[in-house]
Amino acid sequence: MTAVIETEGLGKRYRKLWALADCTLSIPAGHVVGLVGPNGAGKTTLLSLATGMLAPTTGTIRVLGGRPAAGPAQLARVGYLAQEAPVYAGLSVADHLRLGAHLNPGWDAALARRRIDQLDLDPGRRAGKLSGGQSAQLALTLALGKRPELLILDEPVASLDPLARREFLQDLMETVAEQQVSVVLSSHLISDLERVCDYVIVLVDSRVRVAGPADELLAAHHLLSGPRRDMATLPDGLEVISASHTDRQSTLLVRSGGPVLDPAWAVSEVGLEDLVLAYMKQAAGRGHRQRHLEVQK
Amino acid sequence: MTWLTWRQFRAQAITAVAALAAFAILLAVTGRHIASLYAASGITGCHGGTCAGLASQFLSDLSSGRTFPLLPDGANAYVILYFLSVLVILVAPAIIGIFWGAPLIARELETGTCRLAWNQSITRARWLTVKLTLIGVAAMAVTEALSLLQAWWAAPIGKAVGLGGSASIMSEGRFGPFVFATHGITPLGYAAFGFALGVTAGLLIRRAIPAMAVTLAIFAAVQAATPLWVRPHLIPPSQTIATTEAAQANVFPTGGSTMVVTATRVAGQPGAWITSSGAVNAAGQPVTAPAACESALPHALGGSGSPECDNCLASHGIRVAVSYQPVSRYWPLQLTETGLFLALALALAGFCFWQLGRHRS
Repeated sequence: MTAVIETEGLGKRYRKLWALADCTLSIPAGHVVGLVGPNGAGKTTLLSLATGMLAPTTGTIRVLGGRPAAGPAQLARVGYLAQEAPVYAGLSVADHLRLGAHLNPGWDAALARRRIDQLDLDPGRRAGKLSGGQSAQLALTLALGKRPELLILDEPVASLDPLARREFLQDLMETVAEQQVSVVLSSHLISDLERVCDYVIVLVDSRVRVAGPADELLAAHHLLSGPRRDMATLPDGLEVISASHTDRQSTLLVRSGGPVLDPAWAVSEVGLEDLVLAYMKQAAGRGHRQRHLEVQK
Repeated sequence: MTWLTWRQFRAQAITAVAALAAFAILLAVTGRHIASLYAASGITGCHGGTCAGLASQFLSDLSSGRTFPLLPDGANAYVILYFLSVLVILVAPAIIGIFWGAPLIARELETGTCRLAWNQSITRARWLTVKLTLIGVAAMAVTEALSLLQAWWAAPIGKAVGLGGSASIMSEGRFGPFVFATHGITPLGYAAFGFALGVTAGLLIRRAIPAMAVTLAIFAAVQAATPLWVRPHLIPPSQTIATTEAAQANVFPTGGSTMVVTATRVAGQPGAWITSSGAVNAAGQPVTAPAACESALPHALGGSGSPECDNCLASHGIRVAVSYQPVSRYWPLQLTETGLFLALALALAGFCFWQLGRHRS
């Protein structure tokens, strides 16, 4: 399977500050990929590099095998819903569809019109008067109407209320299933993505902490709880991602190739949200230790 | 892309057309009266020496003609209209730079809509090409239309001034700093430059309002500097040395032991534009005029030299060196100045393409 986004040592610096550094990853095609990470992890920078809105400072990035925004053909293959879902406040909904039709040779007018009907948007209404959810839907319609092979959505639901969030994602999933388009969507909240993505990438401080199909990740991770004991006595083949201890009890989130058979532990399944949080916490802990060492030096 | 450009530009275009129409109506109504006054003045068909007198009479009739009820005494409608219309052409490129140029990219960056526009199946370079071309052409067309309307309106005044008519504050020649910059083809160059300047400021500053302010400041500075330091040197000026009498030189005492001498005409070159002049000695080297002739001046504040003063200066070997542009260089100067500003506009546009491709949003 080919990669929709492939980066090698990718970095972007704003003056002295690295927004993304040494990022190497490969996102496979045919998935709905959730790109998760805390604020400031570099998600938006990565997606802006993927759409050619930014030029990299170091490293390379290929999107669908081509250089981002290299020409009209490349632009036509990638749909992008930027953060905050910008639309032209002074233009009407119908104007936005006309814009899409004029600027995209592969424009699917029927699809766009059907979506606007379904969403019950008044074509004559100015985009500036739409609610947050409606303008996000309008922007998504523009991104879908060009019939891209890859759809990139940057925090598409961050500014929406819970109901609009659910409607937006549900609608997105239906359309994606119809159009068979690869999707990469970012969020700092895994709970938003849990229901929709089948592939997860956790990005913290520009680093990919874990990546893989959601079901495989869930099968490979376990939540262990039992009496407090020395971590050194754990069975072989377990990688502790996070551990929390009370006076008597320990709770561990571990990664293992097979089932955990130690009778001392109560083993339970782990949810995607806990899994992602454990990796974020692990990365944060490492960062903290590193900073601590630097201070000592 | 043409459609989107038009859709986003529609409101400004309508405003511009409305302003142009108002300007045209105002000038058409008053212009007919000027034309009839001119026809009645007898200038058409005048011979030799009578022309200047008739022209002066026409200009003073115009200046002392009707007044508007609300205007103060002595304020004449035509004088006001003349300067107002010149002012409109003078500021039009700045207005275009501020309201069409500066927000063109800055507004897209500010609102984030650039991320929408630049992710359609069209490259940023093409997006910018279409925007700059269509709106740039509109900017030039509007400014030139204003200029042509004013030129038609002021044509009788220009003819009267050309025939030697004076006695009117409107009698500025074709080389006058305001007349030159608002007639002929120079408005095309200024419009293109103002627009490109606004676009560039918007792209670099990334905020529309500060970009508008910077556009205005730079454009005003360029507009003020051009007649002072650029225009006289676009073509190397011709040089001549004449007696103060022939040059009808003005002589001003400076209060010390010297006097300043400036030429007001070039013998045999009617209508020439004097770019600089000053006293020289018999060897042609620049000197300061001796204050010895001050007593020969008709009055203490100086002014057009009296025969006594001219004789006095001549007896000291003082003559006037004049740098000037003959009237035949009007169109070569127009072409050069317009070309200069068009080239500046193109350079700014090229910079925008480079910056947009390099920096990205």
